Amino acid sequence: MLKQDQIDICPRDSAVRIQHVTKTYEQWQRSNEGRNIIRNLIKPDKRIITALDDVSFEISRGEFAAYAGPNGAGKSTTMKLLSGMLLPNAGNITVLGMSPQKDRITLMNHLGVMFGNRTELWWDHPVIQSFEWKRVVWNIPKSSYNRMLDMVVELLDLQSILHTFVRELSLGQRMKADLALMLLHEPDLILLDEPTIGLDVLAKRQMIRFLKELNREKHTTILVTSHDMDDLEEMARRILMISSGQIAFDGTFEELRKSAGSLCRIEVTLDSGESAGSGVGSGVDSASAAGVDADVSCGARAVSGAGTAAGALSRESGAGAPVIPQAKLLSSTDNVCEYEFDQAVTPITSVLSEISRINGVIDVEIRKTPIEEVITELYIKWRGV
Amino acid sequence: MADNRMNLKRLIGLYALYGKMDLARFLKDTKYALLGILADTISNLAAVGGVFLLAWKFDGVGGMSKYEVLFMLGYCTLVTGLFTTFCASENVGHISRRIGRGQLDHMMIQPLPLPVQLMAEGFIPFSGSSNVWSGGAVLLFSIHMMGIVLPWWWVFSLVLNLFITLTIILSQSYLYSSAAFYAPVAAEEISSIVIDMQGNLSQYPLSGMPLGLQVSLLGIFPTGLLAWFPTLALLGKLPLHLPYLFPAIMAVVIFIPTQFIFRKGLKHYVETGSNRYMSQGFRR
Repeated sequence: MLKQDQIDICPRDSAVRIQHVTKTYEQWQRSNEGRNIIRNLIKPDKRIITALDDVSFEISRGEFAAYAGPNGAGKSTTMKLLSGMLLPNAGNITVLGMSPQKDRITLMNHLGVMFGNRTELWWDHPVIQSFEWKRVVWNIPKSSYNRMLDMVVELLDLQSILHTFVRELSLGQRMKADLALMLLHEPDLILLDEPTIGLDVLAKRQMIRFLKELNREKHTTILVTSHDMDDLEEMARRILMISSGQIAFDGTFEELRKSAGSLCRIEVTLDSGESAGSGVGSGVDSASAAGVDADVSCGARAVSGAGTAAGALSRESGAGAPVIPQAKLLSSTDNVCEYEFDQAVTPITSVLSEISRINGVIDVEIRKTPIEEVITELYIKWRGV
Repeated sequence: MADNRMNLKRLIGLYALYGKMDLARFLKDTKYALLGILADTISNLAAVGGVFLLAWKFDGVGGMSKYEVLFMLGYCTLVTGLFTTFCASENVGHISRRIGRGQLDHMMIQPLPLPVQLMAEGFIPFSGSSNVWSGGAVLLFSIHMMGIVLPWWWVFSLVLNLFITLTIILSQSYLYSSAAFYAPVAAEEISSIVIDMQGNLSQYPLSGMPLGLQVSLLGIFPTGLLAWFPTLALLGKLPLHLPYLFPAIMAVVIFIPTQFIFRKGLKHYVETGSNRYMSQGFRR
């Protein structure tokens, strides 16, 4: 296919286009039984693993997209396909209007690839030597190299390690140096596979801030994978989720939360001095009915208006937590009770109104369900557990 | 044509880069680097010394004089030195290690043709050339002791023979290394096994050996082409009535299928991927 044709197929505003891509692997299977020795020799068992199953998606230029999924879902396979390290069994891949296989050399001048568990740095040389190596191998003009070097050194705070041997760097320093190395040729598209793996909080924050700035100011397209969903949510606007080799979700993080049921958390702190009064129902029973273990330890509460209507706020008759209709009690320790409710079903005003009727409430905190838990729910659902 | 000129220009630039990097590594701790070079030189001279002492004791081997044997050992050391200088670093000469360890991925993301990368990355002119100097010295000493006068163009003949010998070694290394595409665990070290075995065998003169053995070691497992045949060719004593360019013909015969088989293996690699990646200092 001519290059012009490829550019026509892949519009200029598209950085990545994957169309009906399938990638399978063979996995050797072997039993340890002696009677199977001959069979293992002559006709070994092989299992076909479908890493990507007819996957299609597109990333526009300038986008910052997250690519997530459970272990073995096909994330790294996708990254390798996009960077030309692997060939698909079927389908088309276009990166920046080029084929990663046919136009590998041209594409690599515009693409930056970083795998968190790999390094491109030269182990027995100072960091600056790897940067110099990159300049020569990528044939980067001196002026452009110096400009980018100044930028990455400043933004990633690399000055103190420029002359340190790579072998002697900490993991966080090494990752920052690897990121800087990847950026020296000013790639239009960056593929990051687990870039924050093993980093401490500070190093992670620095890297995330830098990537966001790069995307915002230079309009560099970034596709990033990570198991840390909080990191991804902080970095990216769009999330593609892959499960069992198929795109299971493609949208914003907000939409992802909604797909899991617009769940919201509310934490109610009660005054420890409040004593139990009379009320309807057992808190323990109610909590159990709400799907919570019966070992909750919130103190007994008097609830105004309790028992006046079915479904109204009930009160503990002994050790237990107040029951809020349509809210699931998640935990209850040291006078702090945490509930979860679906905003799509129950308006927040109605939950707050119910809480206002509880005696001894000293604090209420509302927050979205952590994205990690939304994802966990989704993974469990996808696996059919 | 323009592409080739560009690649050549890039290649020269890369040689300069890797030469500079080698010098920097060499100068990191010069004391230990010099000690390393000295140890390397002594061990190589000791290795060839054994064969030379035998030749000295018996006043030659199978029709070769003791100084002709010494010439052969000098040639052999020179070849080892050139292999080390151009190919030993970063496992370029022992490519089965890179294949077996799944490290070819790193080459895919460089904007250079793979042959250009392979030709340049192994270049270590400072830390790897000790055998070139010691081999050259042994070669000159043996020529001096033989008392022969060589024409000026003989140097080109030597360079041509060295190039052909290196082509044969590398072709074999890459041919056997192709097995690592299909059996990365079993074949990870195959290249070093093949090259080391051939290196050891090539130090023994085949003169006076049974004809069948000579033919086998020239045609089937061509150890005789690594030092013995070139030595006799350079001294004007072609063995077995074979043509002067016999090693060149053999080099082509090995190189062509190697290129085909290696490319096929590489295709298999990008189709199946590697699950044996060894991280941290991937060029080791």
